[in-house]
Amino acid sequence: MAAVIGEMSWFCCGNTWGPCGTVGHGACGTCNSGSLQHAWPNASDACLAITRPDACGVGLSRRTCGFRHYTTNLCTGSRIGTTIADCGPQTDLFCGETACCGSSCGSNRIIDLTPAAYSAIASLSSGLRPCSVDVV
Amino acid sequence: MSATMDRRRLLSTAVLGGAGIVGATALGSLAPEAAFAADPVPVEPGAPDPNFAEGRISKISGSMLLVTGSDAVLHSIRVTDGTSIWKLTPTTFDRIAIGDGMYARGLRLPDGTLAADSIWVNIVSLHAHVAAVGRNVLHLDHNGRRIVGHVVPGTTAAVYNGTPAVSDVSLLRVGRHVQVIGAWHPDTNEIDVATVYAAA
Repeated sequence: MAAVIGEMSWFCCGNTWGPCGTVGHGACGTCNSGSLQHAWPNASDACLAITRPDACGVGLSRRTCGFRHYTTNLCTGSRIGTTIADCGPQTDLFCGETACCGSSCGSNRIIDLTPAAYSAIASLSSGLRPCSVDVV
Repeated sequence: MSATMDRRRLLSTAVLGGAGIVGATALGSLAPEAAFAADPVPVEPGAPDPNFAEGRISKISGSMLLVTGSDAVLHSIRVTDGTSIWKLTPTTFDRIAIGDGMYARGLRLPDGTLAADSIWVNIVSLHAHVAAVGRNVLHLDHNGRRIVGHVVPGTTAAVYNGTPAVSDVSLLRVGRHVQVIGAWHPDTNEIDVATVYAAA
């Protein structure tokens, strides 16, 4: 798989506080905010039927629970390795959305990182960043 | 990762005895030079990150935050002059309160303390639908539960489909999907909105 360019955001999962307290351990049953994990839009047929990246013209390979991706923050070049622990983001709800840092841009939401993972390569307060996702 | 390493070394220096660093003398005989002699061991993808902590603040003692993790693990978080703190906006240590939730990233010291590089207090990232819009308030449907989001004049920003952030939230529409970065109120379970990302 060639690197996919898009947007990354973050989400909480597992035992946690506040509004996140009800979200559970994700589609894989293993998701925790403190672990280096992520959600992927094409983690299963059922997942893909919800997230629908194809509706935005984005083709993403089927990758299942535990699969390892490497995400690079296009604003800084920082990179983190994570494994699939949930289904998401819901790409089709933000079709065409673009995030940029200067001339480095990514369109469409392709990955959600846990707080531990996102904070390793970006500030949690930024919320959304352009990124590239690869398998090596 | 050179920027990270530079930050790491700066942070370790600050913790270990920079003049004016909060609580810098409390490390005692932890032989910190050993802790910082080598580059950090990479964390395996999928594994818990030892340089990250989350939970509710149960005690504030000097520059230390005692945090009860959501998995019941106890964390000691050391705050230094070099720690960046966010609570709706960038802020200062005195704004942190017992009962607050938090995420922290930093450097795990040999005694188990996390020397914090960054702390995000009460921060939430909610993927929700707009259920109603009022004067300076958004009613959000998040995982089937209604959450009140307060628009804070002068602070709240709206990003519409990737356009530059603006203070005008009037373009938000009921039924549309949004991502909200905000600060949770532990006493009311409501949030103050920092940034709302809205789809086209």
